[in-house]
This record gives sequence, C-alpha cells and structure tokens, in this order.
Amino acid sequence: MIPSRYLSWAMPATLFVLLVLAALSLMIGDMALSPARLWQGLLRQEEMAALVVWQIRVPRMIVAMLVGAALSASGLVMQAYFRNSLASPGLLGVSSGGAAGAVVVLACGLTAYSLWILPLAAVAGAFVATLAVIALARHGTGTERLLLAGIALNALLGAVTSFVLSRQTAVFNRQTQILYWLLGGLEDRTWEHVLMGAPIVLAAALLWPLGRPMDLLSLGAAEAQSLGVDVRALRRRLLALSTVLTAVATAVAGTVGFVGLIVPHVLRLLVGPEHRRLVPLSLLGGSAFVLACDLITRCVGDIRLGIVTALVGGPFFLWLLRRQT
Amino acid sequence: MRRAQPGSAPSAVPAPEERGKIAPFPQKALALHGATVPGRIADVSLEIPAGMLVGLVGPNGAGKSTLLQVAAGLLPATGGTVSWSGRPLDEVVAQERGRCATWVPQEAHFEFGFSVRSVVAQGRFAHGDDEFGVDAALARLDLVQLAHRPVNRLSGGERQRVLLARALATAAPLQLWDEPLAPLDPRHVLEVLKLARELATKGGSVLMSLHDLRVASRLDLIVVLHDGRLRAVGRPEEVLTAELLADVFGVRARMAPGLTLDLP
Repeated sequence: MIPSRYLSWAMPATLFVLLVLAALSLMIGDMALSPARLWQGLLRQEEMAALVVWQIRVPRMIVAMLVGAALSASGLVMQAYFRNSLASPGLLGVSSGGAAGAVVVLACGLTAYSLWILPLAAVAGAFVATLAVIALARHGTGTERLLLAGIALNALLGAVTSFVLSRQTAVFNRQTQILYWLLGGLEDRTWEHVLMGAPIVLAAALLWPLGRPMDLLSLGAAEAQSLGVDVRALRRRLLALSTVLTAVATAVAGTVGFVGLIVPHVLRLLVGPEHRRLVPLSLLGGSAFVLACDLITRCVGDIRLGIVTALVGGPFFLWLLRRQT
Repeated sequence: MRRAQPGSAPSAVPAPEERGKIAPFPQKALALHGATVPGRIADVSLEIPAGMLVGLVGPNGAGKSTLLQVAAGLLPATGGTVSWSGRPLDEVVAQERGRCATWVPQEAHFEFGFSVRSVVAQGRFAHGDDEFGVDAALARLDLVQLAHRPVNRLSGGERQRVLLARALATAAPLQLWDEPLAPLDPRHVLEVLKLARELATKGGSVLMSLHDLRVASRLDLIVVLHDGRLRAVGRPEEVLTAELLADVFGVRARMAPGLTLDLP
C-alpha cells in the first residue's frame, strides 16, 4: 500500500533538495565560495567569484541537472514501454549506442563543423540501439530476455567505441577520451554544452502530458488499446522521446549509468506507480541525483561521475534483482 | 452490411448526459464478416444482436481468444471486416473505441503496483478520467475491501475481478470477456453471470468465452468455434446437441440431476 502522506510532500521535498544541492554545487569546488561570496559572484560584484560562478559552476550545474533529468525520465519511459522495472537506458545499451555515435563523429573530425553534429550522431547511435533492443525483446517481455539483449548490445557498442578510439591515438589523447565516453563526466562543461543539452528541455516538455496514457500502457498494450489509448502513436512518441533524452545526455556527458534505473524506482517506492506524478518527479529527482553524484566527485576529487553513479547503482540493482525473484 | 449514416443511425457512444447507462440500439452490436487471422481463425462471419448474453465455446486452441481480440479491434483481421453497431471499425478512432467496446484479457500480468481502485479508474480513460461509476464498479465486483491494495499482490481470482470492474467502469455497450469465469470461486462466478445478465437486459451485449458448457447452456446465444472455424451459432438448446458435443468436444452428453449452485 502506498502511504498517502508522502504524496503531497514528494514534489516540494524534491524541489527543496534540488535547490539545496544546486546551491552547494555553486559553492563547492577547487575554490570554495562562502554563501556571501557566491552571492557577490552571482551579482558580478566580485570579478574572481563571478568568473568561477558564471563560467564554470553554473554551466556545470545546468548540464548536471539536464543530464540527470534526461536519464531518469528516459528510464521511466523505458520501464513503462517494456513493462519492466529493470529497463533503463544504460542496461539496455541505448546509452552505449549514443556514445558510439558520438565517438564515431569525433574520430572523423566532423564535430568541428557544427555544434549539433555531436548530439545528432549520439541520437542516431541511440536509435540504432533502441531499435535493436525492440527487435530482440518484444514488449512486455521477461526480465531475462530484456537484460540479455542489453548485455549483448552494451558489449557490441562498447567495442565499437573502444575500437574507434583506440585507432585515434595520434589525433586524440586516447586515455582521456576513452575514459570520458565510457565513464561519463561533467568536468569543464561550458555554456556550449548547456546549449547542446537544450533539446532535453523540449523533450521533457513533450513527455509531460503523456503520464496518464503511460499508466495504461505500463499494465499492458492490448488492454490500453481496448481502453482507448492510441497505443501505436503513444509507443512511437515514447520511444523517440526516451531515445533523444538519453542520446543528448550522452552527447554532453558521456555514458552515465544507473540514473534511469535508480531514480524512477526509488520514486515509485515513495509515491506509487502513477506516471502523472512520476514524470515530473523523475525529472526533478534525476537532476538532484546527478547533482549529488557530481558533488561527490568534486569532494572526493579525481573520480568520474560514471564511477560514482555505478558505485551507488550497482549494489542497488543487485538488491532489486534479489527482490524481484 | 448496413453502414451507419451520419444523423440517421444512433451512435454507439452514449451521449454525455447518459453516461453510466447503456444506451439501447437496434442494430447488431457486433458484426464480423469473413474475419480471418492466418493460422488462428478462418472466415468467421457472425452477428451479435444488442441486448444478448452470448457464450463463445470451443475446445482449447479453437481460436476463441483470437476471435475476441479481432472483435475488440486489437488484432487486425487479414480478411473480412468488423463493425460495432453498424460502424466499420476503421471509422472509430482510438479514444472512441474505449467508449464503444471493452475487452477483458484471459490473464493479466501487472508489473507495477497500481492500487485496485486506480486500475478500475483506468476504465474511464476514454471518458476523460471522470471517475464516473468507478466506486459502483468496485462495489459490484466485491472489491471495496481491496480498493487500496496493489494489484500486483492479488490472487488470480481477485485480479480477474479487477479487470471485470474496469470493463464495467467503461460503460461500453459491447463487452468482450475472455474466460472471465475461469479463476473465480463459485459465488463470484454466479455474481459475474448475474452482472452480465443485467448488462444485457439494459441493452448492452456481452460476448464471453467459457469452458463450462453447463453455464453456457443458460446463456441467450451460443457460438461454437472448432479449429478456427465457426461451427454453430444459435440458442443453447439448438446448438448444444449430443451430436455436436461428441463431434466438437469429444464428450458424451447426458442429462442428470447433480449439484446446482445459486446465489442466496
């Protein structure tokens, strides 16, 4: 049973946590800023603080929030689509597809032509992965088949990424690049990356009104259709949105795993499975989760974002698997 | 086949002020003409008049579930046509379909823990989620006690009642139920049959597949499927002959007094 006392609390509480984390993320870093100095920096009253805040921390904070919102919403959509609470962009290989697409255009040197080449390539790669998952594992399929399809795709697409990058030693700093794309990170994100991540806002806005039909779809496609949902149109839309969300997040931050699995799951435990609530909450909750993980990377120093989310997410995933059986 | 003319034929959709009631209409509630799904059913033509409680019988694998899905517009028939109240299905858009007809699957798998009440309330999706009749449907299917329980922790029979309550909440005039009685206990079997009878009396149509031929013999009309083909349609006493039962089901029929169950 869902304790109803959480319901009215969930939204303001998540928003509050998000705001606190956002403030912390502007203060903590190589140069710690006191609240007073942060304020001066925000108002551009002090040059040094203003530079750190506006050129480094604000874009990084926005990118972290965009990436978190995108991955978590994408996971939520995939769980409803596949009717499986273990589906998520990382586990199904959609993130790897995005990364592979991005790395291929990086290696070809195409990114110099336009800011949008990288996200477009990531979207293309992610779509290939999404279509492959759908072909391998039909809707409403068992966990086993879905995860096996994900394992195969992750291995395949990860190999593509590694191969392309390892051929590029002369052009790129290979170690950094491989780590960057395979482990994800938010270091040195600029306003350019914020702009690149802007489609996430659009996709989230388009996803917002789909919560109710997602409820029906998550209990069975045929039933949903019988109850008046245009299942084919809904599925197409959900698939496009979740793929774009994951791909753009991957284009700006590399592959960051487990966000799409953990955040919707925890929120579902707290407020129940109704998607009208879960869609906005997972956008906010995902933002907060990635901000928090990014804060950990900064406090610990020299640890990648993808490693932090995996360290939190791996045990959580195992706990879920145990709980499911 | 008669096609509905705008303005002349009554709509299959109850007008907003009539929501909750099932509007009577003179046409065939459901008509299939030459419906074919390769390997499952072949050339099934069938007309169900409004206000009838119809049983769909046949051995395992005869194509009952397929026929119900075709009738519900969930499975496209490669040949033939399906129409509801004289309207070809192609003319009925997705959301309107949710108000015209409803389908109850044979088995439901619920991955997520929606509450019983919220699942039943999904029956009002096509009506703009107005919650109309949701509580009545819960009460009718004996689910008031379970209303706030998560559906993924219910027993098979309880799940079946949730699905039936959701179908009832849609207030759709055409009700297509796939073996609704199979997981139910004896009292709920009788309750559901009583409910189906009431829906038919109010002008709705219920087409349900079932295996219990003794129950089927008490319905208005029987449709017999055998190997994907329509074998017989008619009143139970005309259709359920010793010859047909031996031929289709491989059983020998014998009239004998036995245990009879009724609602108190």
